[in-house]
Amino acid sequence: MIESYLIEKMFNNAPFLDEMATDQGKIQPHWERLARYYEQIGKERLGQFHDEVGRQLRENGVTYNVYGDPNGMNRPWILDPVPMVFNSEEWEAIEKGLVQRTNLLNLILSDLYGSQTLIKEGLIPFELVYNHKGFLRQAHNVKLDGDQQLIQYSSDLARGPDGKMWVLHDRTDAPSGSGYTFENRAAMTRVFPDLIRENHVRKITSYYQTFKNTLSNLTKNNKENPRVVLLSPGPTNETFFEHAYISSFMGFTLAFGEDLTVSDGYVWLKTIKGLEKVDVIIRRVDDVFCDPLEFRNDSHLGVVGLMEAVRQRKVLVINPLGSRVLENPGLMAFLPKLSKHLLGEDLAIPSVATWWCGQPSEMTYVFERMESLVIRNIYRGTNHKSVFGGDLSKAELENLKREIRRSPFLYVGQEMVEFSTTPSWINGKLEARNAVFRSYVVADSENKDYTVMPGGLSRSSSEQGAFLVSNQTGGISKDTWVLGKLKEPGASPIKPVRIQPLVHNVLPSRTGERLFWLGRYLERSAYTVRLMRMTLLSYNEADEDIHIQENPVLNTLLQTLTTMTCTFPGFTEKDILKNPEPELLALVHDIKKSGSLAFSVQSFLANAYAVRDRLSLDTWRILDSISEELTRMRKSVTTLTQAYHSLDNMVVKLMAFYGLNLDNMTREPTWHLLNIGRFIESAVNNCTILRGMLSKHFDPESNKELMEDTLRCNESLVTYRYRYRSNLEMNGVLSLLMLHEDNPRSLIFQLLEIDHHLKALPVNNEAELFSIERKKLLEAITKIRLCDIDKLSAADTESHEFTALTSFLDEIIELLQDTSDVVYEKYFSHTGSSYRMMQTSVIPEI
Amino acid sequence: MKYQVIHVTEYKYEVPATLCHNLMFQIPKDHPFQQVKDYSCEIVPKPSFEVNRTDFFGNNYLYFSVERLHRKLTVASKSVLELSEPAWISVDPKSTLPWEKVAKWLHSTDASSEIRQYYLESDHVPFISGIRDYAVKSFTENRPIMEAMLDLNTRIFRDFAFTPGFTDISTPLQKVFEHKKGVCQDFAHFSLACLRILGLAGRYVSGYIETLPPPGKPKLVGSDASHAWIAVYIPGHDWVEFDATNNLLVNDKHIRVAVGRDFADVTPLKGIVYSGSEQEMKVSVDVQSMEEEMTAEE
Repeated sequence: MIESYLIEKMFNNAPFLDEMATDQGKIQPHWERLARYYEQIGKERLGQFHDEVGRQLRENGVTYNVYGDPNGMNRPWILDPVPMVFNSEEWEAIEKGLVQRTNLLNLILSDLYGSQTLIKEGLIPFELVYNHKGFLRQAHNVKLDGDQQLIQYSSDLARGPDGKMWVLHDRTDAPSGSGYTFENRAAMTRVFPDLIRENHVRKITSYYQTFKNTLSNLTKNNKENPRVVLLSPGPTNETFFEHAYISSFMGFTLAFGEDLTVSDGYVWLKTIKGLEKVDVIIRRVDDVFCDPLEFRNDSHLGVVGLMEAVRQRKVLVINPLGSRVLENPGLMAFLPKLSKHLLGEDLAIPSVATWWCGQPSEMTYVFERMESLVIRNIYRGTNHKSVFGGDLSKAELENLKREIRRSPFLYVGQEMVEFSTTPSWINGKLEARNAVFRSYVVADSENKDYTVMPGGLSRSSSEQGAFLVSNQTGGISKDTWVLGKLKEPGASPIKPVRIQPLVHNVLPSRTGERLFWLGRYLERSAYTVRLMRMTLLSYNEADEDIHIQENPVLNTLLQTLTTMTCTFPGFTEKDILKNPEPELLALVHDIKKSGSLAFSVQSFLANAYAVRDRLSLDTWRILDSISEELTRMRKSVTTLTQAYHSLDNMVVKLMAFYGLNLDNMTREPTWHLLNIGRFIESAVNNCTILRGMLSKHFDPESNKELMEDTLRCNESLVTYRYRYRSNLEMNGVLSLLMLHEDNPRSLIFQLLEIDHHLKALPVNNEAELFSIERKKLLEAITKIRLCDIDKLSAADTESHEFTALTSFLDEIIELLQDTSDVVYEKYFSHTGSSYRMMQTSVIPEI
Repeated sequence: MKYQVIHVTEYKYEVPATLCHNLMFQIPKDHPFQQVKDYSCEIVPKPSFEVNRTDFFGNNYLYFSVERLHRKLTVASKSVLELSEPAWISVDPKSTLPWEKVAKWLHSTDASSEIRQYYLESDHVPFISGIRDYAVKSFTENRPIMEAMLDLNTRIFRDFAFTPGFTDISTPLQKVFEHKKGVCQDFAHFSLACLRILGLAGRYVSGYIETLPPPGKPKLVGSDASHAWIAVYIPGHDWVEFDATNNLLVNDKHIRVAVGRDFADVTPLKGIVYSGSEQEMKVSVDVQSMEEEMTAEE
């Protein structure tokens, strides 16, 4: 396997260097162990390991969202079992170079938002900064304490044909990927434990320890235990997985813009207990989306008034707003000079050769060589895609030149680095793919220095010879191994972490709301499955030639199904009753049909995804299998028989989710809200089924059959037989499903559970001894306890319908609805905080 | 000239708002030919939090938030100012530098960023097509900058029709140019685009001007409006102000409040409100000349 890779490398005249193979077809010394290992285990095992790595990641729920792709939500993260490898000597040079570059960028950042001496002295062109949308005038003279303004820094590096590493991009606003790096390493460690040990692969955990200490130092004067939130754009963001991952890993509270509010100049987190002060915001929301008052007023991802809170020094935002000005390829052209000027040193790691068109001679040069250059805007944004000059037609080139002439400051020409290849496991064999390495640097405020993560996120292109290496376009990620032990034995011991994890006693209202719905959709899905199963059985048993309207049992089941799933007109329509199969199938697998099983399960999964930082790892395995079952159900269920099997599988998995949480979720608000949602939904569905199935009077045989189905729906038939040892009687059935406090399927049991969980929630208002929602519930509980079961079991003498039962259940449903509304208002009302721009003054009319 | 200005903005909400955050750019400051004698601001309901700040362009502004239920928000600014005749009134336009020389100087590090920032494109002042051709008809070769600018001012005044209601805040400059219609804000933005495409520094000035009633009619309270014009940087004379809407070299009747790249930097009052309902907004501006009073006192 290795041999053929080397031969391929030797005879293939590709201009790229290879990380593993030398031009003479030899193996680089630091790859030898790995190469030997691959040779030893062979293709088949390596293939198995590849699958194993994928399984690990999938089960951990590692995903990556792709914008604009209908199936892009939660696309699995792809990891190559072959890592990127650096030996210790080379790493030392990279590390040094990155620390130097971060220091340099930090000095530039401080200057641009302070005295601007560099512009005055002509070392940085004025237009390069003032034309860059990342230069936020609102952040002028706003500084963090100390000299370090840039707290997190990332850059993409690649090896050029000369064997040197080059910086391709600087990322200074809200660098992403470090969470994936940790997951990659975790998966690799599980699959290749020996290989990692034998190669002395350096650990990467120190990165986050340093980060935590730095945060703690920055807020030291204010607080011993700062409240840190990670501000995420939300579950549809491409890297949401890692926002949730980093939050739970670091003990930060995961928050969206709507979870935070500014009041009295402070930033507050809206929790189910009320407002909690926030000290630090680690932001994953882009700069101009962070505050609609001062930046983009169309943003709903930010916090209104945040910039002023920063000026008030009441909250730290990391990286500071304005840091994006450094994500500026034009700056690369000036870094060598700046390094000399500011540090008195040569720039250790060169940037990819860059010509800024703001200078006439550089523009001419770019125009002359346009076909071999990449043309970029100095500001990276969705409207500003970089283009390779060689891909453009003559007319397009002319257009581009016209654009550049119009605003030359906005463009750079960059050399196309032909970066090196690494072996990658592609379709069952090792192939050479171009790779880029993303590094992570973090401020170490204790030592007034910067620390580089010994590792990082490498990505390789999915196709041969392609340089577009991005997760958005289907790139493959790689773990990055830095070999060799720590250089100095006396390296600074890891300091105890001062930040206490606060996740567990803070629950943002929005998260609470999601948990509530998670519980509701869980039960809604389960009840839909159960009633659907009864209906399908009855449908299969029915004579083929009979009209459904003449089959009271089947008809009642179908009507109840429509009512419970709220899918009117559904089976109340005569035409649909004539041919019920399409509607039945749609109720199972049509994900677009609100109320269908697929819809409810999808909503269940979406809510789970939004609170993923609150759920355990094992839970993710189950959610993964529910998601798979849902896909199977949607794609391959075409007959009612298939539907029936799918229902069986689904309900077992849903219950496994609940069982696991029962087993390992701590009994705090998270748990209580999940259960309040769950039992409110159960109780409502219970009432709906009783009302739908037992309120009509038919022939005794049909009524008996309906009672039996009702018990089966609630999995209580066995209990009934065991307890009553008699024929089915209405009062017995109602007693069991309404009054027996020891039957978990009874209405009273469900209501008592709601009350139990409500009682356990934190009290907002101490004076309120017995809350309104509990009063409503108490009313329902009392009604049930006091009800006369014989009266409810009797049919009306005139209409022969069970009207007493119907109106009784209606009352209970209404009380449940009231309870739900009050809970909503009390704990989640913060979440409905929609805001809008105030009209600005009519324009001056003179 | 001495003036008193009262600027009142009122918002009404059908469903009460729970919270609002605002930025107010209505606080005038001293200029070489303008002295602020008095300024006060009344906000109802009283803000829960407020702070006075200076922005990047040197303007004073107020940040405030109202954190209680309110159906109505009123912001009333009251200023008293004294204006004198600017020095540029007596400058011979022909004596100013050729505009190309000014542009060249601006593009060197000899000029400060505070001035240079005003020759760049901005959101409301984009370099739309055709703008250079329009500008060079006034800015002919080697023409003294002030003379050229006066010419441009007059051409805009003649070519464009003052048409309230044709444009709003979001109307693109291209449309203003195509239809040659708009209000003072549009004319200011258009003038700035002409200057900046030539590499000259021009900034947006927001403020007030007294409107005179038709002869014989009494002046109505609140009938004035906020106004906008521009300032051009002319070496040796600093920022010189021109008002294309009135075809004027600005004298002692323009009250300056704030300067910026364009309207967005100096919006008199902007805010974000937490309220589900529609809003109704009313603005009234009253500019009173205080000359009479003073004569009476004397």
